[in-house]
Amino acid sequence: MSGAATRRVAITGCGTVNAAFVGGVPELSTYLEHPESRVRAEPSTEPGLVASVDDRALDGLTDAGDQRRVSRISRFAIAAARLALADADAPPEDLSLVVGTELGDLRSTKEFANGFLERGPTGLSALLFPNTVMNTMAAATAIAVQARAATLTLNAPVVAGELAIARAAAGIAAGRFELALAGGVDQIEPITELAAGGDARGEGATFLVLEPLEKARQRGARVFGEITGWGWRALNAPPCGVGRAEPPRAVLLALERAGLAGDAVRWVYDSATLDRERDDWERALLDVAFPHHPRRVSLGRWLGRHGGLGALSVAGAAWSACAGRLPALGGAMSADRGVGLVHGVARGGTHVALVVGAPLP
Amino acid sequence: MIRTVVTGLGVTSPFGAGTKAFWTGVAGGTCAIRPITLLDTDGFRCRIAAEVPADALAGSPRRSRADRLALAAAREAIADSGLARADCRDAGLVIGAVGGGMFEAEKWYWARTRGGAPVDAASSLRAVLPFSHAETLGKALSLGGPRETVVAACSSGAVSLALARDLIEDGLATVVVAGGADSVTRICYMGFNALRLLDPEPCRPFDRERRGMSIGEGAAFLVLEDAEHARARGAYVYAELSGYGITTDAFHPTSPHPEGDGMVRAMRGALSDAGIGPAEVGYVNAHGTGTPQNDRVEARAIARVFETGEPLVSATKSMIGHTMAAAGSLETVATILAIVEGVVPPTANLCAADPDVTFDCVPGTARTAAIDCAISNSFGFGGQNVTLVFRRS
Repeated sequence: MSGAATRRVAITGCGTVNAAFVGGVPELSTYLEHPESRVRAEPSTEPGLVASVDDRALDGLTDAGDQRRVSRISRFAIAAARLALADADAPPEDLSLVVGTELGDLRSTKEFANGFLERGPTGLSALLFPNTVMNTMAAATAIAVQARAATLTLNAPVVAGELAIARAAAGIAAGRFELALAGGVDQIEPITELAAGGDARGEGATFLVLEPLEKARQRGARVFGEITGWGWRALNAPPCGVGRAEPPRAVLLALERAGLAGDAVRWVYDSATLDRERDDWERALLDVAFPHHPRRVSLGRWLGRHGGLGALSVAGAAWSACAGRLPALGGAMSADRGVGLVHGVARGGTHVALVVGAPLP
Repeated sequence: MIRTVVTGLGVTSPFGAGTKAFWTGVAGGTCAIRPITLLDTDGFRCRIAAEVPADALAGSPRRSRADRLALAAAREAIADSGLARADCRDAGLVIGAVGGGMFEAEKWYWARTRGGAPVDAASSLRAVLPFSHAETLGKALSLGGPRETVVAACSSGAVSLALARDLIEDGLATVVVAGGADSVTRICYMGFNALRLLDPEPCRPFDRERRGMSIGEGAAFLVLEDAEHARARGAYVYAELSGYGITTDAFHPTSPHPEGDGMVRAMRGALSDAGIGPAEVGYVNAHGTGTPQNDRVEARAIARVFETGEPLVSATKSMIGHTMAAAGSLETVATILAIVEGVVPPTANLCAADPDVTFDCVPGTARTAAIDCAISNSFGFGGQNVTLVFRRS
């Protein structure tokens, strides 16, 4: 599994199911040109704001077997994975899968426990039990799309999707992966006591198809972005807490790998989700890294915090790099094509940065 | 080319605190599976597990049980490696986890649902998710490098070591603390009962009368290091992590592929990655859960990979049960110490090997053997197959 080679990493497909839209790159482009917030106050899921997915969005994307056998969150993942592979027109051979998630399938865990609490040992469901393990979405997706190479589930607050993309990009570059579906998935959590920070919670799944740029071009694939740098580190912060402004080493690593200075970054897709304390910390970190204050986009303010958001931000950054546009409420605005950064930092200190640009010759 | 070596070991196991206690237990063929004390077993067929003694846990009782298992093992691994504090500042942390702090969260949820003495939600839920271990250990041990939590069911601990090797070989870290941790939980205990996969007696991997697995708990962490960095600082090197293979069955949520195709691909991929042939492997630490299906398929897969070789094969779970996310890293420690000590730990509780098993399962008593190369297998729900290859350094 070790890889000595360093290969360029192409983005050739995107599939997403989120509170605002369902689809591939065309639907993503349409949304980013005219974005709107789907975050709503939802009294039944106090506390906080939520951006939820209408289950009818899955119609036609998952079949009757999926609906009978797998849980709602796994259906999000399966639908987004199928959309991404179709978008990339990629043959699913030697396919790896990297799934980021924050909460996993806690709904099934709760349902499994309720079976016992209501009816004793006879109330336990053998079918539900596998869903209580957080790799259940990856397992269901691997079966659905026949991903038979490595499957990884990465668990992190806020930045699980960014981390999954960074892991997959490193795997492609090093030659460990030949074709990877990477992204994340979450659903709004029914145990409201878990909600912290009062931020906007979202749900859905987004996957990107990553492959070596050279191979993508050989097979005539449409390349809509390139990931040229990545880094992930831990910042000094207490569990569930925030830290101070300090030189953000993940950003420095990502820029170093991309061979860029900080002032080359024209815009940043950040991980703000209306958690004021965390959002302020991220702003301070970015101010340290980028004294020229590049423009910032926060998709999480419109779609809510969930495991798919990081991959959606990377796809958004690729769109911005190609189209020279930055999404904004009321209509996208012009921006330098150039390269941008996708940045994520979580309470507790997990920190990820990715440099994303348009594919160059 | 960067090589990855193991320079520190730390274990919290049903034998108590420390690698020494663990090795003494497994090399001695001692079974640590006993009546469950941590959970209510009323109404369940199986009432045994391998629990960690209370005095082996580290840190404040306000932390989750799994965090305390992990903290004790990781601290020992770092001390064993002789790493300086400055080395830890940039050291990575990769943790394989499944249950997180579910043991405490269950207490709260049970009380909330059934009534009774109220349990504080904030303290019970603080560490419920698997990533909590990484936040706790990262802060307590001042590990500032790349941080990841990987969930790969019962192969989580093994995957953590593979991902740590990637970080080192990609130049993203020079030193990585990696391993797995899990405590017993009601969800896990009840789930395996529901699947009817638990043996009411201590498990008997590869035995013709085996009836299922036993659950356990624990943690094991290893310090993995760039070989050049280890050499430069004069560190003791236990072994080299010379290769790994990770594959997915993409077949069934809980059952392995009947021919063990994914297992075979993982073992062959790992050997290829390490640049060795099957004949060079002297010992296989099997996943060996004791369930009729796993052991039958794994035996078939091992036979396919090692058709011309005759490695010794044993199952550590026969002594410490299935420790879930910790299993892969605990069994890795046993694998490495088999190389270092020249002693292959046995498969306990094995009276008569299954006719499907064509290899020597080292029944009952440890075997002295010069081992230069050994592999550790870990397989999990979701068809997640991992094989790690270790060589004498």
